[in-house]
Amino acid sequence: MFDWTILWGKPGLLILQGLLATLELSAWTLLLAFLIGLVVGTVRWLRLSLTEPLCWFYIEFARNTPPVVQILFWYFSATYVLPTSLFLGLRDVGYEFGAAVVALAIYHGAFIAEVVRSGLNSVPRGQFDASRALGIGLVQSLRRILMPQAVRIALPPVVNEAVSIVKNTSLAMAIGVTELTYQYKHIDIFLFRGVEALAAVTVIYAAVCLLIAGLGHLASARFSQHLARNHDLPVLTSE
Amino acid sequence: MQFDRVWTTANWERLLVGDLASQGVMGGLLLTLLLGFSSIGLATLLGTIIGVLRDSPWRLLRAGCTIYVQAFRNVPLLILVFWAYFFPAALGLQLSKFASVLLALTLFTAAYIAEIVRGGIRSVNHGHVEAARALGMGPLQVELWVVLPQALFNMLPALAGRYIVTIKNTSLAFLIGLADLTEIGKQIGARLMTAPVEVYITLLLIYFLVNRGLSALMRLLEDRHRFSRIFLRI
Repeated sequence: MFDWTILWGKPGLLILQGLLATLELSAWTLLLAFLIGLVVGTVRWLRLSLTEPLCWFYIEFARNTPPVVQILFWYFSATYVLPTSLFLGLRDVGYEFGAAVVALAIYHGAFIAEVVRSGLNSVPRGQFDASRALGIGLVQSLRRILMPQAVRIALPPVVNEAVSIVKNTSLAMAIGVTELTYQYKHIDIFLFRGVEALAAVTVIYAAVCLLIAGLGHLASARFSQHLARNHDLPVLTSE
Repeated sequence: MQFDRVWTTANWERLLVGDLASQGVMGGLLLTLLLGFSSIGLATLLGTIIGVLRDSPWRLLRAGCTIYVQAFRNVPLLILVFWAYFFPAALGLQLSKFASVLLALTLFTAAYIAEIVRGGIRSVNHGHVEAARALGMGPLQVELWVVLPQALFNMLPALAGRYIVTIKNTSLAFLIGLADLTEIGKQIGARLMTAPVEVYITLLLIYFLVNRGLSALMRLLEDRHRFSRIFLRI
């Protein structure tokens, strides 16, 4: 009934292409989401009265609506958001990938922003006030004094977010990005080898996610130990 | 922006409650909520059982639960939805679209809730367990009447977050053609052809309001007196 050898042929190649697209999509999304999260999280932590409502609006909206609807929304709103000439140029080459990256980065950026903010909150605010009083600039005190301590708290949830990003890239198939899940659908419809392809895709997703989780775990343990040695901080142990 | 074309009475009816009385067609939001809340209920039950068993004295049971949690947390929900669509059919069991999405969503959410439950149980002071055992309560009684009620209270914020994610995840149902809120929105968008952005803004607004409402409800429970009144009298 099942013919696993097909995975060595054309379907296998399609799945491999899908995996590459998934990884590429995840990497861009993670990068962009991290940048958004870093900026928005820090700005929220500063509690500027001007940006506070804006940040609140962004974070609450991004976190309380389904990512797949956000992907569709950004995909279809490209006509409004982009200048017409750019949009027409993009339409010819296809902007599904870009739309998926932007939408997922906006979605996950909100979660990472909250992680960054709680990481910064874990450092006593007096340290920030002290460094500012000593004449260290805003960016420098954030970079040299607060962030190194906040990273310890923020790294494990950011790793979880990275795993979550890999899983959510599967939603990009809704707008036709040819990532893993899309390739499974393609094999199912055109080559009638759905079960084999689905099994292979499932294993690949699980392997990638477990790998990221494992590496992240190792990294945060190492990081915590390193900081504890050099800065006289308690080692954080998680299971 | 032409919201007036999207926000017609007929469209609202399709998006929200549907035409239950005359044709028995369920609206998008109603189906989403039905799917979401059934899944939340079932997943909480299953997740609690698995979470408790993850610290059980039998090694095999413990390992089984760990494998379950790791397997279901590291695969996209969409893939699970496809499996749930396939697998029962291969066993000769024909599930409806609703049932297969419900199955996938429940199994997926239960894996996360199991981790929350385990964390909640560990937050309970072990002295309470010893005291209850010393008073002659059995292990099951201790779990049900001493550990879980306290754990549940500590778990509320994490559970609220997970419940919101579950409501959001129901939107995947449209990818296998179930007429949930997202699918109805897509259909309305396809019929209007020129107003997709307005349709999706409407969808985002509805989901936002539902999820904010749910988190407000969960926050009501975080008041210890109210929580005790509701749960400890049952």
